[in-house]
Amino acid sequence: MTKPLRPALLGGILLAVLGSLCPFLWFVLTSFKSQIQVEAIPPTWWPDGSLGFYASALIEHRLLHYILNSVIVACATTIIALVVATPAAYALARLRMAGKAWILGGLLCVAMFPHIVIAGPVWQILERLGGLNTHWGLVLPYVSLTLPLAVWILTTFFQELPFELEEAARIDGCTAWQALYRIVLPLAAPGLFTTAILTFIYAWNEFFFALLILTDPERQTLPVGIALFQGEFTMPWGEIAAASVIATLPLIIIVLLFQRGIINGLSAGAVKG
Amino acid sequence: MNGLRASFSIAAYSPLRHLSPWAAGLFTVAVLCAGHVPLTHCQELPAPGKHSGSPPITLHFVTWKADHPQAWDEAIQRFEQAYPHVRIKREIAPHSSTAYHDLLTQKLRNRDVSLDLFFMDVIWPAEFAAAGWALPLDDYFPHGEREKFLPATIASGVYRHHIYGVPSRIDSGMLYYRKDLLEKYEFSPPSTWNALVRQAQAILEGERTTHPLLRGYSGQFKQYEGLVCDMLEFVGSHNGSFLTEDGRRSNLTAPESMQAVRFVREQIIQRLATPAALTYQEPESLAVFIQGKAVFHRNWPYAWGLANDPRHSKIVGKVGVTTLPHFSGGKSTSALGGWLYGISAYSQHPDEAWAFIEFMTSPESQKYFAIHASLAPSRLALYADPEVLHANPQYKNLLPVFQTAQPRPRTPVYPIVSHILQRYFSRVLAFPKTDILEEAQEADRKINRFLSLIRDARE
Amino acid sequence: MTQSTRERTTGWLMVFPALTFVAVFSLYPAMDSFLLSLYSEFPGSERSFIGFGNYAELVRDPVAHQAFIVTLGFVLLSTTLELLLGTSIALVIHERFKGRGWTRAAVLIPWAIPTVVAAQMWRFLLNDQYGDVNAILFGDQVDAYVPWLADPWMAFGAIVLADVWKTSSFAGLLILAGLQVIPDETYDAARIDGATAWQRFWHITLPLLKPALLTALLFRTIDAFRVFDLVFVMTQGGPGDATQVIQFYGYKTLFTEGRVGYGTTISVTVFVALAILSLFYVRTVGSKLLQREAA
Repeated sequence: MTKPLRPALLGGILLAVLGSLCPFLWFVLTSFKSQIQVEAIPPTWWPDGSLGFYASALIEHRLLHYILNSVIVACATTIIALVVATPAAYALARLRMAGKAWILGGLLCVAMFPHIVIAGPVWQILERLGGLNTHWGLVLPYVSLTLPLAVWILTTFFQELPFELEEAARIDGCTAWQALYRIVLPLAAPGLFTTAILTFIYAWNEFFFALLILTDPERQTLPVGIALFQGEFTMPWGEIAAASVIATLPLIIIVLLFQRGIINGLSAGAVKG
Repeated sequence: MNGLRASFSIAAYSPLRHLSPWAAGLFTVAVLCAGHVPLTHCQELPAPGKHSGSPPITLHFVTWKADHPQAWDEAIQRFEQAYPHVRIKREIAPHSSTAYHDLLTQKLRNRDVSLDLFFMDVIWPAEFAAAGWALPLDDYFPHGEREKFLPATIASGVYRHHIYGVPSRIDSGMLYYRKDLLEKYEFSPPSTWNALVRQAQAILEGERTTHPLLRGYSGQFKQYEGLVCDMLEFVGSHNGSFLTEDGRRSNLTAPESMQAVRFVREQIIQRLATPAALTYQEPESLAVFIQGKAVFHRNWPYAWGLANDPRHSKIVGKVGVTTLPHFSGGKSTSALGGWLYGISAYSQHPDEAWAFIEFMTSPESQKYFAIHASLAPSRLALYADPEVLHANPQYKNLLPVFQTAQPRPRTPVYPIVSHILQRYFSRVLAFPKTDILEEAQEADRKINRFLSLIRDARE
Repeated sequence: MTQSTRERTTGWLMVFPALTFVAVFSLYPAMDSFLLSLYSEFPGSERSFIGFGNYAELVRDPVAHQAFIVTLGFVLLSTTLELLLGTSIALVIHERFKGRGWTRAAVLIPWAIPTVVAAQMWRFLLNDQYGDVNAILFGDQVDAYVPWLADPWMAFGAIVLADVWKTSSFAGLLILAGLQVIPDETYDAARIDGATAWQRFWHITLPLLKPALLTALLFRTIDAFRVFDLVFVMTQGGPGDATQVIQFYGYKTLFTEGRVGYGTTISVTVFVALAILSLFYVRTVGSKLLQREAA
């Protein structure tokens, strides 16, 4: 395709980038201010380069510790969700079985449950299982909440893959499991990748369940940790800004490294219906 | 690991049964190591009622990330030294009253047995008592002991003749003002709301050229629990009230109540504070004041420290504090805030939990918190203590404020009532064209409905 | 015959773990909640069965009506803006140009920021005194500064703005996916016929993009209907309930007021409304997919 509207495109790029980044950049600037600068009226633009908020977020508020918890929970959620969703999606995409439409429709339906309505009963189940204040107690509901989207994306993705190789393998006597692991999975890497990212970001950002299930400070995750910075009557904007910057860095790096993967996976998987 | 775990039978009565055997084992080792040092010198110290051979009891205490974490760590450590057979395991909830409430009640509603101790905001004991969540403390907390506390703080813990909470400190609304500006215009701190408005307007007029952005008043008028506190102070100081004397009916349509609301809308929001106050909780409203942009400011005692801290404030040394004004014919009313210690009705260690509360609210501990964490004591005697007054000279002025403190309505359906009040006040203030009478009637109707439901359920 | 039986068994084995997860942690809780919604319960009273009494109350509750209207307004406005912006973003990052990778990454950043953090950020930026939005618009003219969250309409707008900022790029991603499957040849033919860029977009891109747009619309509607974090952090529903969306009202009744039955009723109703809406969408978008599954 040629680009008939160069200035328009340039304008579009600038708008998109600035619109996305500016609000966050202001917050980044805030994180380098000193306490009295943060609430100055009118706001001052340039921070005096103080790192005090970072020190306070990392040391007093033990930010790294929350990040570690979040990494554990998000990774575990991603891995388990993929392991569970992949065979299910494969079966729904490839195998002859009854009720597939019902299963897919049902999963979409489940994805629509308001979190607030299932939070109470989930809490009770976890209490019975002894899962409150444990990482796995948070991972289990996360897996279940991310499964519908994961299965949906992977199913459509598998359907786009060529069937011939698999068919040959099946005729040679491969079972469905072997066909899945030897032939389909390597081909489906981009789709798996996209699903993994979506799941990871969900688990990394989730707040409501994490707040309810984890009250043990040793296990709380990042969004909860940042929310707890707030005092009874005080709002430490500077520390919150610094923590947000640190918390967002890993995601920015992931997005930068893998943006091609995310986009390819989605375009092959999500929409072609 | 399993043998170890069984031999100390921790699994039987501690929340460790929630952990995997591996983690529980590890924790047992940790507890033993930690417990070992105090256990040896425990023979010399009289630890009430327990012998050193039994494994330590772990009390789970739902608290928040404190503003002065070292002071709390230190206090709890001291308790554990005095009671070596008891360990305190803190669970951290948000510090905002509503968010803390929602998390705690979720646990209590499900009869969480792993929970022993918690804080109650002064507005919750009725709800917790009616639901059977809080243990009555009548036997632990004799009347003779209660008399040593500020009366309003004790009253807030009582519901239907039983007491459920021990006040950890006192909080109440007060009027901060710019001492320098009032002196410049030769005003003394206003005792009535009308005087406050007059003074503020005179000062704004005089400062127009030098301080064009100065506002007359800054308070908390966002739609949240704080709005109920701020409005109580206006309504109460006009001889109005939210509920009738017997607490059975809503009283918002009483002329005194409605006039006070109209005053806030027309004089405070529209003239002195600007509608921006509708977005303010404590931090935002305080920022306006300590950046030197407001003459009068309503806040809790904590604001004193920040207003005089040069890292936060541009008005260090220019701040005065006094009781809130009243309307002519009324008397000054200040919303009571603060936190009470309570014991879960499902706790399996109420005696140890009480020992903790007794320790934390003892004169020594409260003095320690007053000096090291600026928490205003709930014990009256400490306001005469030279060390406390040396660390907090402002307490001398504050004691009269604390004695005017008024509790918010005490009813088991307080959260519901509060939401109705918040909606009513916020609508009236944010939509200047609404008819106050109409809105008040609607709020009245709703509140009465819930109050009657509670009565029906009981009678 | 035996082979197809075995295939069916394998199929169910493969689906089983996923179904178990969903059944235990989503389906059962939802059923449980539905049962709870048939009871009356609040602090200090016994739980009693009242059938659909809570639903009848919901129909009569003016606060709930207002919350539904606010939510509908929010869904309409935010999804429309997100689709418009999302399409623009998708068109931009679909082009080939130097630095496309960085542009794509930049655009995705808002989506990767935790919602709670993003909401705090907007609350800070929109402050009437020290907020950067005012500083940008009015510079040192502090007397012109606007208390954005104080006015009922502007507070509503602020919630929409925060949501649009946060999720437009996600909608853009889904739409980009649709753009990428449109073969270039389609455009070439049109170009030979002398169609302008605008005509090409209107007559070729847009119709082919319909499935992608509808998918984005479906996912965004589901999420927008359940908006909670933004309101919880930024406005607490105020001023005067102007930003009280239905999920926040449900949260307040269920968790703060302890009216378990009624609070659950609100959330169940949200779910039913969503399900009906989605059914409508799926009939247009997903029917092809579902038919192929069933075949």
